[in-house]
Amino acid sequence: MEYAYVNARIKAMKSRLLDRSFLEQLINKPDIDSLIAELEKTTYREELDKAGVLYSGIHRIEVAIRKDLVKTFRTVLNLIRGGETESYLTLILNRWDVQNIKTILRGKKIQENPSEILDCLIPAGELDEAALTELVKQPDVKAVIDLLATWGIIYSRPLTLNFREFSETGDLLVLEYALDTFYYQDALSRLKSGESDDARILKNILVTEIDINNIKTVLRSIRDRIDIEEAKRYFVKGSPDFDMERLTSIMKAGTIDGALKHLEHTPYQFITTIPQEYIVAEKISAFEKELERYLVKKAVSLFIGDPLSIAIPIAYIWAKYTEVTNIRVIARCKIIEVPEKELREALISV
Amino acid sequence: MEQINPTRMELIKKNAQIKLAEQGRDLLREKMDALIQEFFNVMESVSQSRSELEKLSDVAQHALLIAEAIDDPVTLKSASFATRRGITLDIKGKNVMGVPVPIIEKKRFVKSLFERGYSILGVSGRIDEAAEKYEAELDLIITLAETETSLRRLGSEIQMTRRRVNALEQVLIPELKRQAKYIEITIDERDREDLYRLKKVKKIIERKKRETINT
Repeated sequence: MEYAYVNARIKAMKSRLLDRSFLEQLINKPDIDSLIAELEKTTYREELDKAGVLYSGIHRIEVAIRKDLVKTFRTVLNLIRGGETESYLTLILNRWDVQNIKTILRGKKIQENPSEILDCLIPAGELDEAALTELVKQPDVKAVIDLLATWGIIYSRPLTLNFREFSETGDLLVLEYALDTFYYQDALSRLKSGESDDARILKNILVTEIDINNIKTVLRSIRDRIDIEEAKRYFVKGSPDFDMERLTSIMKAGTIDGALKHLEHTPYQFITTIPQEYIVAEKISAFEKELERYLVKKAVSLFIGDPLSIAIPIAYIWAKYTEVTNIRVIARCKIIEVPEKELREALISV
Repeated sequence: MEQINPTRMELIKKNAQIKLAEQGRDLLREKMDALIQEFFNVMESVSQSRSELEKLSDVAQHALLIAEAIDDPVTLKSASFATRRGITLDIKGKNVMGVPVPIIEKKRFVKSLFERGYSILGVSGRIDEAAEKYEAELDLIITLAETETSLRRLGSEIQMTRRRVNALEQVLIPELKRQAKYIEITIDERDREDLYRLKKVKKIIERKKRETINT
């Protein structure tokens, strides 16, 4: 694949991402209508026009930015068609497939109206809108898994393996964890075989994501006083720095404060500097916000990495995702009249 | 006016009824005092819980809006599919001064991390915090449902008792007293008539006696 051409195209797309000053303009808009008017001057115009037929206000913005995200990811994927790079990039986009499958399974378990389930799906992964619609049409959880298996979708494997336990307990958590852990294990195993720079870059991001997920699980488990043995079942394997043994020793600290001490002298020591009030209140979302910012910054900083590698598409995907999140935060905060300081804190700054 | 037999027997009956009605009124007053005391005790806890609920509701609403803003409403809705389930509550009853009030089983709806039914890997701590706050709100709403129902029932019982006391005090007892008074007056009147008649008869008899002697 011609990285020079593809990454030049992606860098051109990057130049159309909203910059800090534009976000400032959005923050200063007095209401949703003026926010929409401002967004209509950007690449979101097309999707805003389409969404405007059915929706208005905040829903119009949310539907439009969601559709734009999906369209953008498809464009990136189409640029990279063929070869190892496509399969690597698909690994990142597969997280939306996992999320969509989980949503469908949740909806089917409670016999939710199919249109309600469809509204919650973001077809940004390999499973496109048509495939997801077909899955939603299935009568129950088993039929969804069977259809995935028939199509040869790899995510049917953990679901089929754990379906028996699910049918005995009725606990969807069994299937969801199997799916989540399979996603990371499968991605890492696919990257293990490749020794290229691309594989190394992607693995680095995935391992950071696994670390962050595991740290969040540890902190949440400590806060909820979950038994160590139970919490261990939900750790994701695959990180060389934070293996099961290390995560267990952090869990043994028993307090958030103690757990944070274990994170000193690691890449995640920045969360130890979080204000004491959040530590005392055991406010996990405060730690989570910092960890997510770290991951986004790390991913977006790949823009300054090797220009002839997968670093640029990865950075672009994360930057686009962050932009969409920031627009949603600004729009939502506008309708509920959140103080500007709080709005700025909620934004993911890159 | 109701047809009353102005007899001594009737008067005794009326006096007994007055005594019974006054006893009933006193008992109802005591019941009302006890109910009012209980009502104020419950009201204090209701007003405390109400203000606590308002605060909790604001905090939960805020947490939900922040989660919606950062995590996308569709992610939240998806998580809600996993947590949706019915709530069964065991409701028993107890008597407070004869008033049946409900006792709702104290169940804790605040769930731990792995009890909500979704995998925490795809669901952020913000969604967890919003869920936790709404679960705490649900706990409080159920407690409040118990105390508010008790309060409403005690309130309507107090109203009913007050109406009964008023009916006894202002309608029944005065009516009975008036009837007793009427009987007393009628009996006295009859006694006086009897006395007058007897005196008249005596006079006639004496006059007849005198006439017989004279003739």
